[in-house]
Amino acid sequence: MQNKKEKIRDIRSGEDLRKAAARLKQENNKFKKTVILCAGTGCSASGCLEVGISLQKELKHANLDKEIKIRTTGCHGFCEQGPLMVIEPDNIFYCHVTPEDVRDIVENSLKSDKVIERLLYLDTITDTRIKNDEEIPFYSAQDRTLLGQNKNINPCDINDYIAQGGYKAFIKAFASMNPESIIEEIKKSGLRGRGGGGFPAAKKWEACRRAEGAPKYVICNADEGDPGAYMDRCVLEGNPHAVIEGMLIGAIAIGARHGFIYVRNEYPLAVKHSKIAVQQAEELGLLGENILGNGFSFDIKIARGGGAFVCGESTALMASLEGKVGEPRPKDIHTTESGFNDLPSNLNNVETWANVPLIINKGASWFANKGTEGSKGTKIFALTGQIKNTGLVEVPFGISLRKIIYDIGGGSATSRKIKAVQTGGPSGGCLPESLFDLSVDFETLPQAGSMVGSGGMVVMDESSCMVDVAKYFLDFLIDESCGKCVPCRVGLSRMREIIDNITKGRGSEEELKLLEDTADTISLASLCALGKTAPNPVLSTLKYFRSEYEAHIHEKRCPAGVCRSLIRYSIDKKLCTGCGLCLKVCPHNAISGAKKQPHAIVEEKCAKCGICKDRCPFHVISVS
Amino acid sequence: MPENITLTINGARLRATKGDSVLDVALRNGICIPHLCHVKTFTPIGVCRICIVELIKNGKSRVTTSCTLAAEEGMVIKAHSEKIIHARRNIAEMLVAEAPNSKAIQDLAVRCGVKNVRYPFRNKDCVLCGRCVRACTELWQSKSLGFVGRGANRSVRLPFDKRPEYCKRCYSCITMCPMTIAPCSGHMSPGKEAFCGKCETQLSMAGKIVDACVDCRLGESFDCARKPGL
Repeated sequence: MQNKKEKIRDIRSGEDLRKAAARLKQENNKFKKTVILCAGTGCSASGCLEVGISLQKELKHANLDKEIKIRTTGCHGFCEQGPLMVIEPDNIFYCHVTPEDVRDIVENSLKSDKVIERLLYLDTITDTRIKNDEEIPFYSAQDRTLLGQNKNINPCDINDYIAQGGYKAFIKAFASMNPESIIEEIKKSGLRGRGGGGFPAAKKWEACRRAEGAPKYVICNADEGDPGAYMDRCVLEGNPHAVIEGMLIGAIAIGARHGFIYVRNEYPLAVKHSKIAVQQAEELGLLGENILGNGFSFDIKIARGGGAFVCGESTALMASLEGKVGEPRPKDIHTTESGFNDLPSNLNNVETWANVPLIINKGASWFANKGTEGSKGTKIFALTGQIKNTGLVEVPFGISLRKIIYDIGGGSATSRKIKAVQTGGPSGGCLPESLFDLSVDFETLPQAGSMVGSGGMVVMDESSCMVDVAKYFLDFLIDESCGKCVPCRVGLSRMREIIDNITKGRGSEEELKLLEDTADTISLASLCALGKTAPNPVLSTLKYFRSEYEAHIHEKRCPAGVCRSLIRYSIDKKLCTGCGLCLKVCPHNAISGAKKQPHAIVEEKCAKCGICKDRCPFHVISVS
Repeated sequence: MPENITLTINGARLRATKGDSVLDVALRNGICIPHLCHVKTFTPIGVCRICIVELIKNGKSRVTTSCTLAAEEGMVIKAHSEKIIHARRNIAEMLVAEAPNSKAIQDLAVRCGVKNVRYPFRNKDCVLCGRCVRACTELWQSKSLGFVGRGANRSVRLPFDKRPEYCKRCYSCITMCPMTIAPCSGHMSPGKEAFCGKCETQLSMAGKIVDACVDCRLGESFDCARKPGL
C-alpha cells in the first residue's frame, strides 16, 4: 500500500509522469467537494484573502477540512465581480463573496447541496440569477483554452498542474519529436507572437536555431506595461508552469541552454509564483542538469525588471538583463543572432509560451482551426474602461469588436453611448463605434490605424474627449520614452506642446498639420518600436475624430466637456434650491450665494474641478 | 580575410568590404548622407536619426540609420528618396529648434533642406548626440561621462556631478561636441533665436537637396566624415 502523503519524486520518463498524474487525480477524487477561490490580483484587491482565511476557520469548525478541499487559484477573468468562488463538482459560481457570507456557504452549499441565491451572478438584461459560470454571457461567448486552465490549478503547486496533464507536451516533444518537427508543428499551427508585433513564432525559433553561437537563450517577456492591460500578469500568476513548459519545448527546438523570465517587480505575485514554479520543477528534475537522464540541460532564472515600459522592447529587455541601462539598440542585427550577451536569444511573450504546450498536446490543426487566415488561435484581452463587465476575456481571432464589447463586455456601464475603443495600449489607436464590426486580428486592426498589441482594450463612452485621450497617451509615452533618439524624445514633446495648445483653445489649422507631419516623421524614423508606434493614438484620433480637434481649434469648445480651459460650469438659477452643498465643497471658494437663494459660480475663481457638479443633489450644475 | 561585396546606393553600384557601415561606404564614394552623431571611429549608436536611409528588401522598404547598417552583398539602399528627404528635414528642424546656438546644427539643418522652423525655439545646450560620451569611453577608456536619466530628463553628466580623478582633462569631449561653435551670426540670446540659413548659397542648387558631396563646407564644424584627413 502506498503512503498517501508520498510525494512525487524525480520524473524520469513519460511513464513516471502518467503514473503521477493518475495518482494525483485519485487523491483529488477523495475530496467530496472542492472550493475554488480566485486569488488573482483583482480578487485579492477586493478581499479574497480574508474570505479564504475565514473559510479555513469555518471548515475546521464544522469538521469538514478532511472532506472539502480549498484551492486558491489564479485569475478567472471576471475581475469586476470579485472575489469569486466556484464550488465543484456542481460548479456553483458565487461572486462578490465576503467573509460574512462564508458561514452561510459552509452551512448551505458545502454541508448540503443548496444554492445561495443572493451570491449568484445577476444578469441585468434578463434580471435572473445564473448558477453556473458557463451560462453567464461573459463566459459563454469566450473560448477559454488558456485562461480556463487557471481554475483547476493552484499556481504554487506543481501537482495540480501535473494532475491536469501538465508537462505531457514536454515529454511528448522530448521523447517523440526532434527540433525540426517541433518547429514544423509550431509553423503549421500558425502561432504568432502575442506581445504586440505578431511575428510568427516558428520563424523566430528557426532563425535562432540556425544562428551560430552557444549557449543560446530563450527569454520570456513578462514586462507588461500598457495602461489597462494585465493578461500576461494573470497567466504568469495563475499558471506559471504552462509558461515554463512552453519554454522547455522552445529550448529543445532551439537548442537553448538557459532561460530567463523577465518579469517586472511591480508584479509581486507573478515574481513569487514563477519563482516557486521554477523551484518545484527543478525539484522534480524537469529543469536543471541532465533532464530525464538524457543529457539535455536547461535552467530558468527569474529576472526582475524595474518597471520601465521600454524594457518590454526586446533589445532594451536584453540590455536590462545584461545589467545595462534598459535602452533599445538598432535592430539591424536580429536578437535571434545577437541578443543577450551577443548570443542567439529567442524572446517570446508570456502568452505565446503558454500556448506552446497546448499546440504540442492537441496538435497544430486544433490550434489552426481557431482564428482567421493570418491569425490563429485565441488571444486574451484585458477589457477595461466605461463598460459593464470588465476583466480578462479570451476569444478566438476574427471575432468582431462589437461582440467583445457588447456581448462579452455587456455594453456601456452608464446610460451614455459607447464612442470608441482604444486597442493595443499606448502604441495602438482609437477606433470609433462605426468600425466595431472589424474583425480583431493582426491584419485588420493595423489597416484601420490601430493594432492588437499585447491586448489592452479600453472602452470609452461619450464623456471622453478624444483630444484629451490622445494627450493622456502622449504623456505616458513621454514619461516612458528612453530619450535615446531624437524623433521620439524631441518629436513627442513637440506633439505634446501642440496638443496642449489645442486643448487650451490656442490651436490653429497649421498646428494641426504640423502635428500630423511630426507624427509621421516619428513613426518613420524612430529607433525602436516604442517610438515607431508612439504617434498612433494621435494619428488614429485625428483620422476618426477630426471633428473634435476642429471643434477645439475653430469653435474653442470641447464637445465632451473635459478640457478645462474650454468649459464653463454654470448653475441653473431657476432650479437651484440654495442648499449650500456646492458652496461648502468647492475647494476654491468659487461659489457665492446666500442660503435658500440661488447660487452662482464666480468665473475667475473656478478651477473647473467638477466637484460641485458631482455633489449637487438636484443635478442643476451643468457644463458647457 | 575581408570579403568584397557590391551594393547599390541611390542606383549606383558600389564596391565595399563586408561589414562596413552603409554611411561610410556612401561618404567614401561621394554620396552625401548628412549625419550628426556618427564619428568614423566610434561605435555607431544611431540616435540622431539624420542619416536614415531606405533599405529595399524583397520589395519592401524599411527605414533605418545608415551608420548602424552593415553593408551586405546585393543590398539596395535609397538614401535620397522623397520620403527620406522629408523625414530627414523634419528631424533636422526638430534639432535646430532644440539647439539653435550651434553652427554644426544650423549647418546640418541647411544641408537637410530646412527653410523655416515651425516649432518654438528651446535653446538647449545639448542635443544628446553622445559624441562626447563615446569619445570619453571608447577613445580614452575613461568613462568620465555618461548618460543620466530617462526621456525628457536624459542628460550627459559626470559621475555624481563631480569630475573624477581618472578624467585626464583631455577635452576630447569638448572637441567632439557639436555645440561648441556659435552660429556665424553670433550667439543668440533666449527669445532671439532664429534659423540663419545664410549658408544656403553654398549648396548652389537652390530649392533642391543635392545627393552628392559638393564640398559644401557645411560639415566643418562637426567633422563631417568626408573632410580630408578624417
